[in-house]
Amino acid sequence: MGSDAATPSGFLGTSVSAEAETGTTTLRRRRIVQDWLFMLPQLLIFVGLTIVPFFIAIPILFTDMSQFNDPQINWVGFRNFTVLFNNAGVRADYLPALKRTLVFVALNYTTVYIFGLSLALLMYEVGFRGGFFTVVYLPLMVSGLAVGYIAVMLFSRETGTANLLLMELGLIKKGINIYSPSGTMFLLPLLVGWRYAGYNMAIFLSGLLAIPKETIESAIVDGASYLQRLFRIYFPQMWPSFILATTMCLIGSFAVFDELVALGALYVNPEANLLSTLFFIYGFQVERLGQGMTLAVETFLPLVFVGVALQRLQKRLQY
Amino acid sequence: MDVIERFRSSRQRGRGLGTSGKKRLLRIFATTVMVVYTILTLFPFYALFVRSFVPTKESSDLHLWLPEVEEVSMERQIGNLAVFYDMDTADLKDAFGIPQTEFLGARMTLAELAEEYTIPEEDIKDYFAGFYRYNGWQTLLLGDLYGTTFWECLGRTLLVTVVSLVVLIVLSVFTGYGLAGLKRKDQMAVYNIYLLQMVIPAMLILLPQYQLFQWIFKLFPNYADKGLTRYALQLLAVVLINIKGTALSTMIFVSAISGIPRDLEDSAMVDGATRLQYVRHVLFPLLKVPIVSLIVIQMPLIYNQFLQPYVYLDPANSTLLPFIQSAVGQFSTNFQVIYAAIFSSVMPMLIVYLLFRRMFVEGVMAGAIKG
Repeated sequence: MGSDAATPSGFLGTSVSAEAETGTTTLRRRRIVQDWLFMLPQLLIFVGLTIVPFFIAIPILFTDMSQFNDPQINWVGFRNFTVLFNNAGVRADYLPALKRTLVFVALNYTTVYIFGLSLALLMYEVGFRGGFFTVVYLPLMVSGLAVGYIAVMLFSRETGTANLLLMELGLIKKGINIYSPSGTMFLLPLLVGWRYAGYNMAIFLSGLLAIPKETIESAIVDGASYLQRLFRIYFPQMWPSFILATTMCLIGSFAVFDELVALGALYVNPEANLLSTLFFIYGFQVERLGQGMTLAVETFLPLVFVGVALQRLQKRLQY
Repeated sequence: MDVIERFRSSRQRGRGLGTSGKKRLLRIFATTVMVVYTILTLFPFYALFVRSFVPTKESSDLHLWLPEVEEVSMERQIGNLAVFYDMDTADLKDAFGIPQTEFLGARMTLAELAEEYTIPEEDIKDYFAGFYRYNGWQTLLLGDLYGTTFWECLGRTLLVTVVSLVVLIVLSVFTGYGLAGLKRKDQMAVYNIYLLQMVIPAMLILLPQYQLFQWIFKLFPNYADKGLTRYALQLLAVVLINIKGTALSTMIFVSAISGIPRDLEDSAMVDGATRLQYVRHVLFPLLKVPIVSLIVIQMPLIYNQFLQPYVYLDPANSTLLPFIQSAVGQFSTNFQVIYAAIFSSVMPMLIVYLLFRRMFVEGVMAGAIKG
């Protein structure tokens, strides 16, 4: 019982031991079988659609399978794994996409703080405002595809509404071009950050609300400045929020797809072609399925380990 | 003594003034930030709405309000109207009693049309009243694309969303109920499996997942076969992906069900209820809060799902977002249709959100605290 009391949320904490001792063994066993039966439908679907595909993928990595109904599939050994290092064509596809993805991850991670953390701090200081929360969370109700197309509508060089407005106000001389390298590079993280602002704000806000009031009050009484309070009181007690936001941003940044399609990554705008769209193109458009899947594995496997490590860390800090 | 007292009181007063001044400053600053952020967040949707009424030829002018309705000039060529504004020439012929077999040249102007078929100019002007403003919405809401219409796609999206949510809730409650009864070690093992979902990138399993569905349903290469079964199975594939459960859905229900006293179940058992009946009649009503929490987090994700429907569904069996994507490809020269399509795809979810905003805010905060 002592360990149960230590788990703050009570999550996964209830043990059946008290029950188990009083009930007869057969009844208890039947109950456990029933428990597993209750879990089975969803667990089967989950394992079938998340874990099994992982293993289906493995043999395909060693073939030259070009598409899903490829009539002739040959074993090619480790060729798919090595082309990344010795094939100029694949490198010319992969390396720019990798570079753009890494830049995007970095910029997108800063938007987590620009939007999520600062809005959470603002709301924490002035008190929770349901109306403003509704506004900040609103873009998450909109698909990434629509957000991307809206961005194109606002920032097309000649016809973008925001461009025309900013030029009318005299703030810029020439329209921002969302299809240019720098346009895509800066606008993409901004619009993803804007879209997830409410989500990140909720994460940081829940971290802030979990801080015991006394620590803050005593810091104020001691005359700590706001910055001192931030770095000495708030942030050290919000570590689980930071790790959760980091994990989510990392996973989300590599998975970003809809926004890229809207920015023309699959056809007209190579600047928006990140790794996710590159794998999609290899798998569904240019008939290099085995190659595409291998590149995906080579890219994502390290990421899976980082994700697992981050989650371990978060759990250790939380409980 | 007197001096110190006075100093202290003056300092206190000074500090008091300072804090209240600081507070006022903070409030002004916060209000400014909130107002600016609100405007920046809402403006794109307003601009999208306005732009769905702005003819493509005027799109390089700034429009902040609905444009004036401009009459279609009699010098306009039929081909231009058909290509850039998706005017339906068959409809035009019907409206003026011109036989469908008649050929209208692309360069023929409306004035020439009036002359050739002796149609009063007024009638043509009436036919084209508001054409520049509304042609995008007309094309979107009345037309069809790749064998389906906007309304059918909206219907399929709502169907997939509702079915997925209902089944997801039922299965997740079952999972939570089963899991809550297990030993802590087994709980963590199962929970860790669901946690894998968060670290395995969707892109990594997209291709083999698709492969798996092809093996089971054997559908995707046979594009010639356009049966209802095929369409239904494609939608089923999308629903199955939506209901597979996540770490969040598992956690929400395990922690909620763990908090319900076991006495409740025992007394239900004494009254002769089966465990299934207990779930149906006792557990579900008690789980309103976590169920709402799950709905408000999952509903936008399912409604706004693009990648899986885009991959799994035939164009004629599409949901809303792949339909929007094909509309963008198809009407690339008619911005009005594109913006009307995007606006109308965004609106249903936004309306639900604004109607139930309190539930959304509370559910999201509850989810964030758990997550």
